[in-house]
This record gives sequence, structure tokens and C-alpha cells, in this order.
Amino acid sequence: MLARELKKGSAELIILASVEVRARHGYEISKLIEAQSGGEIKFHVASLYPLLYRLEERGWLKGRWVEKAGQRRRRFYSLTAEGHHVLARQRETWQRFVRAVASLTGVSHA
Amino acid sequence: MPDWTSEIESRLASLRLTAGREAEIVEELSQHLEQRYAELRDQGVAEAEALALVREELLGDESIAERMRPLRQANVSPVVAAGAPRRELLADFWQDLRLAARMLRKQSGLTLMVVLTLAIGVGANGALFALVDRVLLRDLPLPEPDRLVTIWERTETTPQSLASPLNMLDWERRSQSFDAIGGHLTGVFAMVLTTPQGAEAVMRQWVTAGIFDALGVKPVIGRTFFAADDTERKQSVVLSESYWRARFAADPGIVGQSLRLDGDLYAVVGVVPDQAEILGRANLWGLNFIRAAPERVRGQYPFRTVARLKPGVSLEAAQAEMEGIAADLAREYPATNEGRSVVLQPLRDAVLGTELKRTSVLFLGIVGFVLLICFANIANLLLTRNSARGNELAIRSVLGADRRRLKRQFATENLLLAGLGGVAGLALAGALLAIAPAAIPQDLLPSGVEIGFDWRVAAFCIVATLAVALLFTLASSAQVAELTALREGVPSGRRMTDRSSRTREALVVGQVATAVVLLYGAGLLTRTLITVDSVDPGYRAPSVLSLFVDPLSDSYPTPEALLQFYGAIEEELKANPGVASTAWTTTLPLGPSFAGKLFYDVDGEPAFVPAERPTAEMQIVSTGFFSTLDLPILAGRAFDDGDRPGAMPVCIVNEAFVERRLRGVEAVGRTVQTWQAEDSSQPPRTCEVVGVAANAKRRADEPEAPSQIYYPFARLPDDDIYLIVRPVAGDAGALASSVRAAIARVDRESLVSVTDIATLESVARDATARYRFRALLIGAFAGIALLLAALGVFGVLAYTVQRRWREYGVRMALGARRAAVVRLIARDAARLLIPGVLVGGLLAVVAGQLLGAMLFGVRPFDAPTFTLVLVVLAATAAASVIGPAFRATRIDPVGALRSD
Repeated sequence: MLARELKKGSAELIILASVEVRARHGYEISKLIEAQSGGEIKFHVASLYPLLYRLEERGWLKGRWVEKAGQRRRRFYSLTAEGHHVLARQRETWQRFVRAVASLTGVSHA
Repeated sequence: MPDWTSEIESRLASLRLTAGREAEIVEELSQHLEQRYAELRDQGVAEAEALALVREELLGDESIAERMRPLRQANVSPVVAAGAPRRELLADFWQDLRLAARMLRKQSGLTLMVVLTLAIGVGANGALFALVDRVLLRDLPLPEPDRLVTIWERTETTPQSLASPLNMLDWERRSQSFDAIGGHLTGVFAMVLTTPQGAEAVMRQWVTAGIFDALGVKPVIGRTFFAADDTERKQSVVLSESYWRARFAADPGIVGQSLRLDGDLYAVVGVVPDQAEILGRANLWGLNFIRAAPERVRGQYPFRTVARLKPGVSLEAAQAEMEGIAADLAREYPATNEGRSVVLQPLRDAVLGTELKRTSVLFLGIVGFVLLICFANIANLLLTRNSARGNELAIRSVLGADRRRLKRQFATENLLLAGLGGVAGLALAGALLAIAPAAIPQDLLPSGVEIGFDWRVAAFCIVATLAVALLFTLASSAQVAELTALREGVPSGRRMTDRSSRTREALVVGQVATAVVLLYGAGLLTRTLITVDSVDPGYRAPSVLSLFVDPLSDSYPTPEALLQFYGAIEEELKANPGVASTAWTTTLPLGPSFAGKLFYDVDGEPAFVPAERPTAEMQIVSTGFFSTLDLPILAGRAFDDGDRPGAMPVCIVNEAFVERRLRGVEAVGRTVQTWQAEDSSQPPRTCEVVGVAANAKRRADEPEAPSQIYYPFARLPDDDIYLIVRPVAGDAGALASSVRAAIARVDRESLVSVTDIATLESVARDATARYRFRALLIGAFAGIALLLAALGVFGVLAYTVQRRWREYGVRMALGARRAAVVRLIARDAARLLIPGVLVGGLLAVVAGQLLGAMLFGVRPFDAPTFTLVLVVLAATAAASVIGPAFRATRIDPVGALRSD
């Protein structure tokens, strides 16, 4: 597991990126993050949902209840237009930060 | 499958989410947990271990409630218990605001009254503030106005006299204190601009070369005058920007072109911004040559001056230097400058004369009074409303609303009310200022000083509004404290302590006092207006038309040609059957004059030294003047056709001249010598008095008729002259177009400008415009004050009746007659009115003294006016007592006793 601070700083970026391609529900998001990070990053229910609600309140995510025939309804989260902007900006910032840390510490970019 | 619902619910409980939102979150989270559990079980994890792992999901580093607390959705206010103690300011404010809006809608009558009162108070005062601001508070609209001064010449008899051109030049050459000194003639007169399309009148003012540098006015295009233009005697003009835009469509090519003005060519050297109109309302300024003037001109004093002090030079230092220079000049030119000194005055004070300042201070006083009365009235309305809400407050405070919260609720309501009133007031101020230019007398404001709606007026309105909100909030806070203190007892408006009532009564007394002061002031100014309006102008003609006729300077080069032209016009008019008689004059009764004052001596009377010679008003009039105006000739004869060049020089004097100078002794046959100027370097004009005319008023407010000397027009033809026309019957105004047509028939080449067409009645009305304006203004405000005071008295009485409902009922049950109850109410009314009248009366006496300078024909303490004020007040008071008294006499004793 990565250090708590690192995760905290990048949590918003990670969540936003996870729904960039299409809308997903909470469980799907947590699974996706865990799988893609090779189990390095996990979000608990207690941290994932408050974060989703916060991003929703900021207008970066939009949550919608979707009902499919024969299934229970689920809440899907998708990026808003503003969310797309924020994601692009945060991604760039993060890249600059990583490059800077790399050149300072001699850790090469993987 | 385990159920997580209750587990999640308990963790969210502390957040006070709305029920709907909480259900959604519980649904979403439990789905997640169920799916996780199912997955773990699928992976073969034992049931107990899976349960523990899933529960761990809910724990995290911080609890879910902790993480959600900053979110808005976790901050939904409870629906009930408005006024419960809370900490969230903004949410509370929003809630307060909605509640306030609801309250105000519910009491729409009261809301409307408060908003209207406030709108009148703020709006009317905002508009007046614009004037006061312009006149008393703000600098002239010129660069670095603090450095601008006027240099007056000073003699023993005249503390501020106009300047001689040669003295001005010497001041300029010898002093070190000024960047520039310029002069201008005070009059603005029409010139005829001839273009290929025809002739038109333009307003021209003569200035000297330095004037625009002194004002600090930079040309929009071209340049202003150079000293070289003066020395080389280049006939040149500078246009005002608005004239340039309106007449020449802002064509920059105008610079360098020549305009034909009164027949002569003038080169346009530049265009200056309209700020220069501070000198006079002119379309263009012509260069007055002074640099090559002969020495005798030193004895002429036509110029008003504007001088710009060098940076850092104080008025006192400049004054000291100039006194030295004036003393030198007095030694060098004793004939003209003996006894002459100079005095410097800030230009602002010189431009905004005492008359205007006086009016503005009056306005400022009214502003204050009316604002006070408005405040008092609104405060009263709100206090009444608040006490009516005693029950509501008591209930809310019992339900747990804390006092601070209730006070804030009131503050919000007051703010909302004040805001509505303020917005309406701003709109009213804007509307008033939009129509103000048409309503205020033209000569009240100096040219170049315009009033209008600007950010300073808006700021005034906003500050006044906020002050109202603050004041009411303080008042209602005190009341909330009082009302909530009663919560232990049975909540009832009847149990109000007396403190609020006393405050309200004091406010009403204040209103009555203010109304008395304003009514008295309005009365005095109205009586002044009536006096000046009903002043006997001296002439008896019921209706006379006047026109200003200004021929081009070179179109009638000789006096003979000019007289012939004037004669032709009179001939033409005689053919008009509607015209009874016509005449020419330099002076209109109660109107302007193109002839100045004369210094005179009468042969056979003790002679005066030149500096102490008496003065008389000079008028040049044609033979028909006295008959056209029907101005009686009391002795001797009027002018006739024999009074022409070559014949014996004659003049006519007026009654006041005879009384003052000849102690009523027969004047006809005496010889009078007159001088145009104070110095007697020029030979006097001698004439024999052939008649004595009745006094014709020159100004409506002159305390005594001035001495007047009339000269026959045929001997001194002037080309700045009024034509007066008297109709056979009816209104002279109806003749205007036919008279114009007659002039046009004579003046085929359009060489004459005809302006200022007006009847003498309207000239007289214009002369008293400022009195009318003042009386109207203070009268309007006094009316508002009276209405507000009446409402105040009514409000208090109505409230008293309501409060003492049961008492009246008991009295009537015990046998009191209706008359007795009415007497009780009348006594309450008297308790408000008598102190109000006493206080107001005292203040009115003071106010009357302050108004002294604006009064004419009425003394500051005027018993009839005061009596009238009392009568008006008594009638108003009676009107406001009737309603409550009627209500009190309709009380059903049984019902009143049963009611709580």
C-alpha cells in the first residue's frame, strides 16, 4: 500500500480518471482501481463514497440512478464537462510533479 | 446475506441528513457491501471472516460521518423550529430572509407604507443631495481647482469690483504667484452667424488670451488663444465642444476655417471642452484684444478674472504680493488707481455665489429634517408591528429560539425592508434628477455646474438606507429583549411594558415638531413668493410681447441706418390690426437690461465728490415706450418725435429720483449731468428733464424703487435692443409669429437675429423663479412631513385604543358615556400634539431667523403664518383622531370584557 499522504493527494485524480471513459458505479470504481494498480491502491467504502459525493457536489461528477430490467437500480457516476477540464489539469500537474521528483531524486520514470 | 442497513444508518445518524438523501446513501453503500461480501464468499472466504473484512470497509481511517461532515448535503437545516439556536450563519441568514419575505408579504399594507416612506425619504433626499453635493461639497469640475482664484479690484466703496484690462496685464507681468491670469466679460450675447444656408444666432462671450490656461482647460482639437493673437489683433474664436459636435458634426477640419459673425470674419483656432462654460453658457468664445489698448482704458472695469496659482503658492502669499503690486500701480497711475487695491477669492466661492449657497444650506436643512421624519415614521410603524408580534416572539422564545437569533431575524427583516425602500428610493432619485434640469431655475446654478445622478448620489442613498436598517435593528433589538423577557407570563400584546410606547410617543412628538418647523418655513417662503409675485411692476398694460432684436454689426453701419431699420419695422407692425402700439427699449421691467448704471449730479443741488455720486439706472427708450407699457407720466411729457439728434438733449426721470434726490421738488426743467463710469475723466452727458414717470420695478424683490433716468432712443440708438409690442386686446403671446414675420419682411437678407421672445408676464415669472422654486420645494416637503406626522399620530392613537380596549369596555360598562371615551382619546392626542407644537414652535422661530435672508415682504416671526400652521395642524390632528375615536365608541362592553 502506498503512503497515505500520496494517496490522499492523488485520490481525486484517480477517481476522476476511473470514470473518464464511461460511467461506473461505486463498486466497479473500487475494483477497477484495485485491479489497475496491481492491488497497490484500495479505497474503502468509508473513504470512496464521501469522495464521490464531494466530487459530485463540486460539479465534477454526476451521479445517476440507472435501472436495468430485472436488476436493482444502481448509482452510476460520470464525468461532467467541468470534470473533464479538472481531470486534464490535474493530470498535467501530476505529471509535472512526478517529473520534478524524478529529476530531483534520480528515480527514473518507469 | 447479511443486512447492512442498520449498521450504515447508525454511522450516518450524526449527520442529520434529509430522510431521502440518507435512504439513497444507505441503499448505495449496502449494495457495495453486499457485492463485496458475495465476492469474498465466491473466493471461498469463510462466512465469519468475510463479515469481518466487509465491516472493515466501513471503518477506514476516519469514520464515514467524519468524511461527509464538510459536505453540503450533510448540512440540511431541520424543517421545524425556526429560530432555534444554530451556528451556521449563512444557512440561517437564508432561512431568515425567506421568513422575512414571507412576513413582509403577509403584512403587505405595512410593507408598502414603509417602502414608500423610505422611497420618498431616500429618493427626495438623494436628489437634493445631488445639488448640495455639487454646490457645497464638491470642487469645480476643472483641473486642480484649489489653485483657481478670482482677482477682484477693491475700492473703499466696492469690496469686489471687476478688473481693468491694463491692471490685469500689469498683474500678469509683475506677479510671481500665478501660472496664468485671464479675464472674461460677464455677459453672453447672441451674435449672428452667417452661412450659405442663412443666418442663425450663436451665443458668444468675450475673453482674454490667458483665460483657458488659467482655467486649465486643454483644447479638444486645435489650440486656445496665444498672447500673440492679442498683440497681432487676430480676430479669432474658440468653440465649445458641444457646439462643435452639434453644429459642425465634430468636424476636425473646422480649425483654421473662418466664421462670419455679425458680418466679420473670425478664425476658429480650436475647440475646448464644455467645462469652459463655467465662464458663461456660450457656444463660442471670442478673443478680446487688450494688449495694445490705450492708457485711458485703465479706468474701465469690465473683466471678471480667473487666475491659476503656481503650485505651492498659498492664497495669502499671492494676496500679499498682489497688494504690493496694486500699491505700486496706485503710485504710478494715481488718476485711475488711487485708493484701488485687490482682493483674491477662491474661484469656487466666486462662482457659487452666496445666493446659491444659501439655497443649498436650506436644502441641506430640509434633507436632514425630512430624513429624520421619515425615519421616525418607519421606526414607529415597525415598533407597532413588533409589539403586535409580541405573541409570536413569546411563543418562539418558549420553543427554544434564543434572543440573538430572534434579533437577527428582525435585523434581516429590517434589512430586506430597507433594501426594498432603498431600491425604490434610488429609482425615485434618478427620476427626480432626470427632470431636475427643467424644474430648477436656470440662473440658480452657475453655467458649467450641472447636477445629475452619479455614484455619489447612489452612495448617499445606499448609506441612508443602511443607516435606516441599522437604526431599526437597534430599536427592535431593544424591543425583542423586552418582549422575550415576558415569556414567563401569558403571551399577550396587552402586557407590553410602557417603554416602547414611550419611545413611540417621543417619536411622534418629534414628527409633529418637525412638521411644524417645515410648515412654518413653507408658509414664510410662500408668503415671500406671493409678495414678489404680486409686486406692482409700475406699468399697467395687461399683456405685452417682448423680443430681443440684434442686427449684425455692419449691416446698419450708421445710427441713421439703424433708426431707419427700426422705424421700418414699426411701420410694418402698424399695418397689423392686432397691434395697438410698439416701442424699443434697452430694459424690460422685472427683466434684463442692456444699459448700465449712471452716476449723476443735478444742477442747482449740492454737488458730490465723484466717488460719492449717486447712481441711477439708465434706460434708452423710444417714443412709444410709456404708452405701450401704459407707464404713467406724472409730470411734464413723454418723449416725442422732436427728441432727435440736433434738438435739445432731454431725459425723463422717475418718481423715486425726484423723491430721493430732489426731495419731491418739481423736476421738470432741471438739468442733469450723467457719467457712464465712476471716474469723471470723460465729459458728462447733460440733459434737461422734460418729464417724470411712475416707478417701473426692475427687480421683484428690491426693497425700494431705484432712481431711473430715461434717454430718447433717437439720440442714442443701440443695436442690443428689445422690441415691445402691445396687442389691441388679449394675450400678447398670440402676436409672436406675426411680429416675427413683420421683422422678416423688413430684414429680407436675414441680417438680424430675433431671440428671447416672451411676454412681459413670463419675464416677470422668470424673475421670481427662484422664490417659486424654494417655496414649492419646501412646501412639498412640508406636505410630506405633515402627512407623515398625521400618520404617526393616527398610528399611536389607534394602537392605544387597541391596547386599552378592555379598559374602555369596563368604563362603558360602568356607565361612561361615549363622549367621555372620546375625551380620553382626545387627551391622548393632546399629549402628543402639545409638546410637538411647543418644541416645533421654538425651532420654527430659530428656523425663521435662518431663513431671514430669503424672505421678502414678511418678517421671520410672522404671527399670521404661525396661526395658519396651527390651524392646518389642528385640522390634520382632528382627522387622525376621528378614526380611533370612532372605533373606541363602537366597543361592545361585554365583548371587550370577554376578549383576552
